[in-house]
Amino acid sequence: MTEFLEVLRYREVLWNLVRRNLKVRYKNSVLGFAWSLLNPLMQIGVWYFVFKILFQHDEPNFMALLITGFLPWLFFSQTVLDSTGCVTQEMALIKKAYFPRSILPLSAVLSNLIHLVFAFIVVIVLFAIWGVDVNIHFLWIIPATALVAIYAYGLSAMLAAWSAFYADVRFIVGNLMGLWFFLTPVLYPVSLVLNKQIEKPSNWVERVLQDHLPVLKQIFMLDPVTIGVEGYRSALLHGGENFIIVAATPELPAAQAAAVQVALRQEYPLLPYILGAAAVAVATAIIGQIIFRLKADLFAERG
Amino acid sequence: MTVIEARHVCKQYRRPRVRATSVKEAVLALLRGRRGYDEFWALNDVTFGVERGEAIGLVGPNGSGKSTMLGVLARVLKATSGTVAVRGRVCPLLELGTGFHPDLSGRENVFLNASLLGLSHRETAARYDSIVDFAEISEFMAAPVKTYSTGMVIRLGFSVAVHMEPDILLIDEVLGVGDEHFRHKSFNRLLQFKAEGKTLFVVSHDLDSVKALCERAIWLDRGRIIKDESAADVIAKYRLAVEAWERSLAEAKARNAPAL
Repeated sequence: MTEFLEVLRYREVLWNLVRRNLKVRYKNSVLGFAWSLLNPLMQIGVWYFVFKILFQHDEPNFMALLITGFLPWLFFSQTVLDSTGCVTQEMALIKKAYFPRSILPLSAVLSNLIHLVFAFIVVIVLFAIWGVDVNIHFLWIIPATALVAIYAYGLSAMLAAWSAFYADVRFIVGNLMGLWFFLTPVLYPVSLVLNKQIEKPSNWVERVLQDHLPVLKQIFMLDPVTIGVEGYRSALLHGGENFIIVAATPELPAAQAAAVQVALRQEYPLLPYILGAAAVAVATAIIGQIIFRLKADLFAERG
Repeated sequence: MTVIEARHVCKQYRRPRVRATSVKEAVLALLRGRRGYDEFWALNDVTFGVERGEAIGLVGPNGSGKSTMLGVLARVLKATSGTVAVRGRVCPLLELGTGFHPDLSGRENVFLNASLLGLSHRETAARYDSIVDFAEISEFMAAPVKTYSTGMVIRLGFSVAVHMEPDILLIDEVLGVGDEHFRHKSFNRLLQFKAEGKTLFVVSHDLDSVKALCERAIWLDRGRIIKDESAADVIAKYRLAVEAWERSLAEAKARNAPAL
């Protein structure tokens, strides 16, 4: 709480660091701020090419799925990656003067939030051009973003503190992010995982998965990033409705898909999961902040 | 009024024998069942007070704890035990010129640096011309700092710091920055601060400057206060001690040298 007041008192430092991060990121690049949008667009292009063209993936509306998935995911992963190194990178500032050290991970969250806003504005323009209905339900992305941001701050603070003492943390995080990407419903809808059954496990990984499938699905649904990403989809694609959606495919006729969807929605009522994910995010932020505060006094000695 | 009060300040550092910078090294050190570090006290029971308007010098050999003491006063470092109370706006002149981002312009860096030292955007804007004037680099303010010479960076850093209107200045080895001209200018600026009744806390190896600037000095050695008296006395005694130490070194060397 006192830390919070301190951050408020030093808000100009925070704001200056955010501005610096924004200015420096695309310094020496010709396109500058356009990269805020080009980055997600290019990622989306790559995955669209891989799935739609190389693998002939039949997920309907795949492009919409990718856009809505990548916006929050890139915000989350970039924030965590940025702030994992922030204490070591800002050692010159840390050794120079006192300021509440929480400003460092906080500035990573805020600068990436601003990138997200820029990217989002352009996406809205694209939607308008494509004739997608831009409506009031889009506002649901605000709580969805807040959920992801709170969670990202907690992880960031924790990882920033640890990586100040062990350089390994950065490499571990870099690789785990690659795995996390596939464990988050960015490339697929949440219903794909919830509907997953393993009948005949063919190796030990599948056997482990089979044994723990219900629990793993619970964990998956309580991941704030999962809820955040699906919150974006609900807001941007489904008018704020329930995001557990089973689309009809050639193998799964419409009637059957609808039945599966009803069953899944019954099995996974949204409200408890949203509240649960929010609790996970807040708990992570509190624990992350405590860990960060415990380590913060020693940062200057590590330089 | 006492503006700085340090009571029984101790600062313990762990000096790693082999610094564990990775999990593997840390685990190995743990498995061997030994502490991978030596403990030593950079500050050991340091107690003193500074009155408002006093100029006080901190002298002593390398590794005596001077910079650590300044770091604790600036709240950059945290004392292991003991208390430090500082009243008033503190401006630390530590690590001058660091914290400037090479890709940002001089102007952008001035605002960032000033906010770090506690100035609001508006306050900085009001002082901006004066800051640039003092550093004498007005024609370079739009250029990125990576194009600056070392001297320019340090001048700008010093200039930002002295425009804080602080109550207390903490100065670490910055008496001799820049060329001869800037050295005079910065020294005069510190004298002016003193005349205005601000408190100066100076760490320096330049004993003549300390004597010229400060009326009181503290001599630190291996984290302990050896003397806390008038600057002239402390510096005279410190010089004698250094001379005596050098003489004994020379004698020991002569004794150990093989006779030819």
